[in-house]
Amino acid sequence: MTAATTTGGALSPTPQGVEVLRAEGLSKRFGGLKAVQDVSFTHHQGEILAVIGPNGAGKTTLLNLLSGVYRPSAGRLHLGGRDVTDLPMEARCHAGLGRAFQIVRPFPEMTVHENVTVGALFGKPGQRLPKARERAWALLERTGLAAHADKAAHELTLLQDKRLEVARAVATQPSVLLLDEVMAGLRPGEAQEAVALVRGVRDSGVSVLFIEHIMPVVRDLADRVVVMDQGQVLAQGTYREVTADPRVVSAYLGTEEGLHA
Amino acid sequence: MSARNVEGGTPVRAAPRRELTLGAALPLLAFLALAALFPFLPLGSRAEFLLQIAFFTLVAGIMALSWDILARSGQVSLAHAAFYGLGAYGYALLLKAGLPWALAMPVAALLAGGASLILGAVTMRLSGMYFAIATLAFTEVVRTIIQNLPESVAGGATGLLVPALLGGNSRAQYALAWGLLAFTVLVSLAVRLTRLHFAFAAIRQGEETARVLGVSIVRFKLLAFFISSSLAALAGVLYAGKTFFINPLETFSLANSIAPLTTSIFGGLYTTLGPVLGAGVLRVAEELLHNSVKNGYLVVYGLVLMLSILWLPRGLMGLRRNKKHGGDL
Repeated sequence: MTAATTTGGALSPTPQGVEVLRAEGLSKRFGGLKAVQDVSFTHHQGEILAVIGPNGAGKTTLLNLLSGVYRPSAGRLHLGGRDVTDLPMEARCHAGLGRAFQIVRPFPEMTVHENVTVGALFGKPGQRLPKARERAWALLERTGLAAHADKAAHELTLLQDKRLEVARAVATQPSVLLLDEVMAGLRPGEAQEAVALVRGVRDSGVSVLFIEHIMPVVRDLADRVVVMDQGQVLAQGTYREVTADPRVVSAYLGTEEGLHA
Repeated sequence: MSARNVEGGTPVRAAPRRELTLGAALPLLAFLALAALFPFLPLGSRAEFLLQIAFFTLVAGIMALSWDILARSGQVSLAHAAFYGLGAYGYALLLKAGLPWALAMPVAALLAGGASLILGAVTMRLSGMYFAIATLAFTEVVRTIIQNLPESVAGGATGLLVPALLGGNSRAQYALAWGLLAFTVLVSLAVRLTRLHFAFAAIRQGEETARVLGVSIVRFKLLAFFISSSLAALAGVLYAGKTFFINPLETFSLANSIAPLTTSIFGGLYTTLGPVLGAGVLRVAEELLHNSVKNGYLVVYGLVLMLSILWLPRGLMGLRRNKKHGGDL
């Protein structure tokens, strides 16, 4: 039932599969602050990649660089072999980058179904409205929101809001989905459902890159982990590899229990 | 795993909402039918006067509805007087250049639409108050330019004579105004029932989120400007042809920018029926008040407007039952 997500055992530094997203020396300065410095990594097709790190490590800035909210001060970003560094947000979406926000941002005056329809209609150029409506329905059914299709987004629970956020992003037909702390604020039971949701997205053929604080979630979900600290990549590898890395342990000093939970 | 249909059983496929049903369109059709019948009522000796009021009610309806179309994309503009004036002056100058009126009218509308793209491009990154102030400044710029054109061209501050529309036949003029309002209603419904609705609403309710979901905001914001300003220019053509004398101060007056805004809010924002209905109610109320409270009717008028905005936050459209988001046209 669950796809093979536990790659923790094997020590395989060779990247498997086809590259979908590649960051090359991405940097972002805000005045004198180097929020992200020379970050490089490769994301493979069908992979769930986690980005972790202490508060202020630059994770969210990195995500904003990937989705195009910020332009990098230096470095390039390739999506499916295409250089997308200079594309604005909407063009990156068309190129195949989907994004769900940490703080859910539904369109407040639209129904749940209409919210998802926006993604289905504009995520790729040339979509027709009736088709987009249909696809939105199918996604609501897949994400367990069909019963709430006609509700306003503000009538949903937090978990349902997160489902909506993910469904809307998936509706844009991304090849890579960026998730910013989708588990934040969820109770443990709910977090498990969210984990299942993310796996379902990956199993439907979308590569997932997510930022997460909760280490058990990273352990359960991530095929590979990128650890950031002070704007730089500290380590990358499987969950087991990075958590065994002394530099990672020292970056998390004081939260070691959290790391090994 | 369990990320499936929680209902179990058959997949839910409720009919998509917000389709154009006859029921939803009925009030709109009724309003247009009533407006069409108006000239055939026994109007008595005051027919000319009443037809004129009705004519400008239709013009106010076009102004309000066209303003609302722009507002749907999150752009709360104070430049409607500019488009109105560009329509009026464009029409007058094209007639002077020898174009037949039936051609001058659409060309003036398209020219105003083109001018709006300049404003739209400049204000692309502005929002809220800054956007409103920029549009207000645009109106002043256009007025100043027209006022300072050589007097032989546009009449300067004094103004310009415009040949009466349709030979001054008020029934024919009324029919034309009705036709243009009906056209504006059709455009508004088209916006409401196509992908434009989703693009405009998404931009209004969260611009950055809309972009992340692939909405090309530049294109859609400019399109909203073009549609809205072209329609407002048609209202300006009607004004110029009816009053047959236009001057910069009155044509570009702030009131012409404010009225569509208050009318739409009063009637019900982001709907087709609301602004049209608002224009009907407010115009009639204004005339009645003007007759009964000669001095200070504007005070009473303003008070009515303030109270209704306080008590009816969704405007007249909020009075309808079954108003839970959507369904409204």
